Amino acid sequence: MADVVTQMAATGGKSLRQRQNATHIGIFLTLILLWELGALMGWLDPLFFPAPSAILTSFWRIYFAQGNIWYHLYVSLGLVFAGFTAGSILGIGLGAVVGMNGLVRRFLQPYVIVLEATPRIAVAPLLIAALGFGATSKIAIIMLVCFFAPFINTLSGVINVDRDRMELMRSLGASKLQVLRKLVLPEAVPVIMAGERLALTSALSGVLVAEFIQRDQGIGTLILTYTRNLNMASAFACILTLTLIGFLIFKGMEKLDHHIAYWKNEAGLRRVGAKRAQAWATAQRGQSNA
Amino acid sequence: MHEPRDFLFWPARVLPHLALLVALLGLWEWAVASGSVDTIMVPRPSAIMAAIFELYVTKGSIYQHFFITLAEAVFGFLIGAGVAIALAVSSSLSENFERYVSPYAVVLNVTPGIALTPIIIAWFGYGMGSKIALAAVICFFPIFVNTLTGLRQTDPDREELFRSFGASRRQVFTQLRVPAALPLMFAGLKIGLTTALIGAVVAEFAQATAGVGVLMSRFSFALDMASSLATLLSMTLIGLLLFYTMEFLDDRVVFWRRDARMSAVSRARARAWASGAEK
Repeated sequence: MADVVTQMAATGGKSLRQRQNATHIGIFLTLILLWELGALMGWLDPLFFPAPSAILTSFWRIYFAQGNIWYHLYVSLGLVFAGFTAGSILGIGLGAVVGMNGLVRRFLQPYVIVLEATPRIAVAPLLIAALGFGATSKIAIIMLVCFFAPFINTLSGVINVDRDRMELMRSLGASKLQVLRKLVLPEAVPVIMAGERLALTSALSGVLVAEFIQRDQGIGTLILTYTRNLNMASAFACILTLTLIGFLIFKGMEKLDHHIAYWKNEAGLRRVGAKRAQAWATAQRGQSNA
Repeated sequence: MHEPRDFLFWPARVLPHLALLVALLGLWEWAVASGSVDTIMVPRPSAIMAAIFELYVTKGSIYQHFFITLAEAVFGFLIGAGVAIALAVSSSLSENFERYVSPYAVVLNVTPGIALTPIIIAWFGYGMGSKIALAAVICFFPIFVNTLTGLRQTDPDREELFRSFGASRRQVFTQLRVPAALPLMFAGLKIGLTTALIGAVVAEFAQATAGVGVLMSRFSFALDMASSLATLLSMTLIGLLLFYTMEFLDDRVVFWRRDARMSAVSRARARAWASGAEK
């Protein structure tokens, strides 16, 4: 089967690709049509499973006709951004400090294990009670949710540095800063980026939970209100919006990862290599001129 | 570092940790008692202990909620893991199936599962059903991805060896692919189990009649922070319980990854083989 596919790909790759895409679209349209039909014929309760056409109408309404989603999106994404930035700075900083220091690491480890086992989002009601309603407690929740993945990943990235390389650098007389810059960071950055990716997706979950509990504004509150009013089509439209945001976050972080940890992929390595070669060449020319 | 005889000196290893913990708690207690920290924001450690004692011993009111949340997380996990593994195995067996199913799995993944909470509650009601459903939805993806990745990453050389010995497709699958996939699969299951707990607790925050999440939001909104923290610690307990159960299973099933377990199993097998050969 696999051989047949590769052979076909070799001979007529484009048409195969097109046929696959057509099948994808076909399956998708069939599913949607079945769903619509089910809703039309009354097999699916419209209160619980709104028809795709109803969801499309809601999209139009919440984005353009009424346009009420923009404000909530703005509020929620602002909180996500603030909490994510604060949480990941804290996480990476603490992770690096703890990872570089064996004593701190040993004494902190049991607490990290305990905190990892706790469902982080569960702290949300506590933080709201302690910090009061409003943006502060929401940001604190997101910060807490965002803190762990970068912290743990930075820690393991820093700890898992290759011993032999470390010894080589030491024996060549590298300073601590040089070891950090030339050995530890390059090895840790991909792992840290993976942590950041996790953190950003959990930030989105964090803001939703905070808004489910506080119920004042934001996309989470919007979903909750629509569901309470049994306006399921609009609730679905909001969730599909979140799917889109999640997808953008996923793709964006992937791009960023390729850009920052350029030595992990061919294209990035070539791009930076060419730039450095050019810079080096101009520097050489400048020297020979002078 | 962890030689067997280290066990004899375990007090020497644990004592510094214990001393640090006691010192921290003492400092905390003192800070609250001296009034430099607000008691409503941060309750005293002794008050938290008292709350734990009340919840677990004198009133014993937590057990019902504790087991409800535990059951929700476990059932949700079992359903989510079952579906995830079934889909991953089908995807690894059929390229077409994977091609046409995986886009939907990806869409499900980028959607924050927690956003579905209100809708799932509307679908499944205020009882345990909605919590189990949310736990299942949330824990699905890590298990699916890890199982699929594990099943796909077989060493081509080994596969060729299997083929050249005339192994059937079924043999390649059960004796080569599955064992190679198990470590990654268990990593996914471990993540999935903790996420399932998060799903259950979040659904309880949103709307529920019983469970640790409800208990906790009740305590926090009554500003009874000591009891609230005590409840949080019970969630940690559930999390640790689930995590170590999975770790234990991992150790048993994927025995070849740890040297000690590996030699124990191979000794047992050698003994069984020897006694079989005698007969």
